[in-house]
Amino acid sequence: MSGYIFKLQLIILLLLAINIKVSAQNLKFLIPDGAVVQYAGSIGYFSGGISYQLFPNQRGNLDLMYGFVPGSKGGVLNIATAKFAYKPWNIKVKNWGKIYPFNPGAFLTYTFHKDLSLKFPSGQYSHDYYYWSEALRPHIAFNSEIELDADKVLKNSRIKAISFYGEINTNDYYLINYLQNMSALTIDDIFQIGVGMRVKF
Amino acid sequence: MKIFLLFVLSTILVSCNHFEFSPNQSFDRMSLRDVNATNLKELGNGAEDDTIRFVLTGDTQKSRDETVMFCRTVNAIKGVDFVVLDGDISEFGVLKEMTWISRTLEDLTMPYIAVIGNHDETSRGREVFLNMFGQLNYSFVYGGIKFVCHDSNSREYNFNGKVPDIAWLKNELKPAPEVTGYVGISHVPANSVDFDSTLVKSYTSAFAQAPGFLASLNAHTHNHSVFYPDNSGIPYIVTGAMGKSEFLLLEIVNNKLSFERIYF
Repeated sequence: MSGYIFKLQLIILLLLAINIKVSAQNLKFLIPDGAVVQYAGSIGYFSGGISYQLFPNQRGNLDLMYGFVPGSKGGVLNIATAKFAYKPWNIKVKNWGKIYPFNPGAFLTYTFHKDLSLKFPSGQYSHDYYYWSEALRPHIAFNSEIELDADKVLKNSRIKAISFYGEINTNDYYLINYLQNMSALTIDDIFQIGVGMRVKF
Repeated sequence: MKIFLLFVLSTILVSCNHFEFSPNQSFDRMSLRDVNATNLKELGNGAEDDTIRFVLTGDTQKSRDETVMFCRTVNAIKGVDFVVLDGDISEFGVLKEMTWISRTLEDLTMPYIAVIGNHDETSRGREVFLNMFGQLNYSFVYGGIKFVCHDSNSREYNFNGKVPDIAWLKNELKPAPEVTGYVGISHVPANSVDFDSTLVKSYTSAFAQAPGFLASLNAHTHNHSVFYPDNSGIPYIVTGAMGKSEFLLLEIVNNKLSFERIYF
């Protein structure tokens, strides 16, 4: 009986080992292509996260980030962000870098705070009383990025590239306000700025 | 290259005010503080003023272009002592919206005061209001009339029986030597489904019992109306929304209140 259990355990272990090996290959896409940090830009006082390059042409970019706003800066807020951008153009700068001049994108933020709910409670309000979500916010964004080749600039073989970007964004709240009040508000009012740095492995 | 650097530098300088940490920030480096207290100090006590003339408006929400026109219209009226912005300053309860409205209202040649509305209590709007304008329940005396401004947005507290704060109101409405009359100002009118139905009776009777209570001033419904919830004869006067391009001009002379509906 004990021999039977031992054999069974062995088989299970073997299966698990194969499984882990297989899934490690399948899950390789989960390994990030880079790390990113950002100041401001409506996703935290400071935020940081991981970066993925998307599509065969590597022109898509997905950042998964966590941001924090301390009480002294109008928080306390914890913000999770999923940010997508596409880089339609790039300009080669000599042999040391590239400029991505204009990259449109969009991002979703979820802000964790006791006063912000995903949905207004249905017991308290009829379904159409308030029509938006307090915690989940869609944004549109445009950024410019300059990428330095790490081999040439930093003589560092462990990272591929280091890049700096500036980004402007606006959200549904501001856009609705702007579209209904084109003379009292300007485009400049509704777009907010962030700056960041990305390291590609 | 120099021009390019200059351009980059000036862009950074110009953009400093735009480094937003979150739309849900309760304040930022540039946001105003204690607007009500500052403006009431500017208003003074009106001890010499025998004709109190003021404007009641509300529900600015997304009506920013109309607010620009509103300021021009009010500035052209002679003798307006102050303006009351009776709630729903913002649509989404965020800092930027309240900042934009106060920027427009700075064009007024007379002081204004703000009272909190239900939209201003969504998200972190209550904190934004506390930072930018001040307390949710407050009062001031001008020309011998005590204006009792208060939070009547019961639904935002899920009708917990504490909003409006009847005990606070009763205390504010106690007879005082320098006060000849009272005016109640709040966003949600007592006949609204958004007003705590269990408090209507104690609310209206608190007003009725105050000696020389002139009127309750409200907004919220977006439509001008006057109603009488009890037999005290006290009018409950509701202003139309800013978005309807109208407001009320009120006058108190010898403890008598009258008003005019003005379109712009």
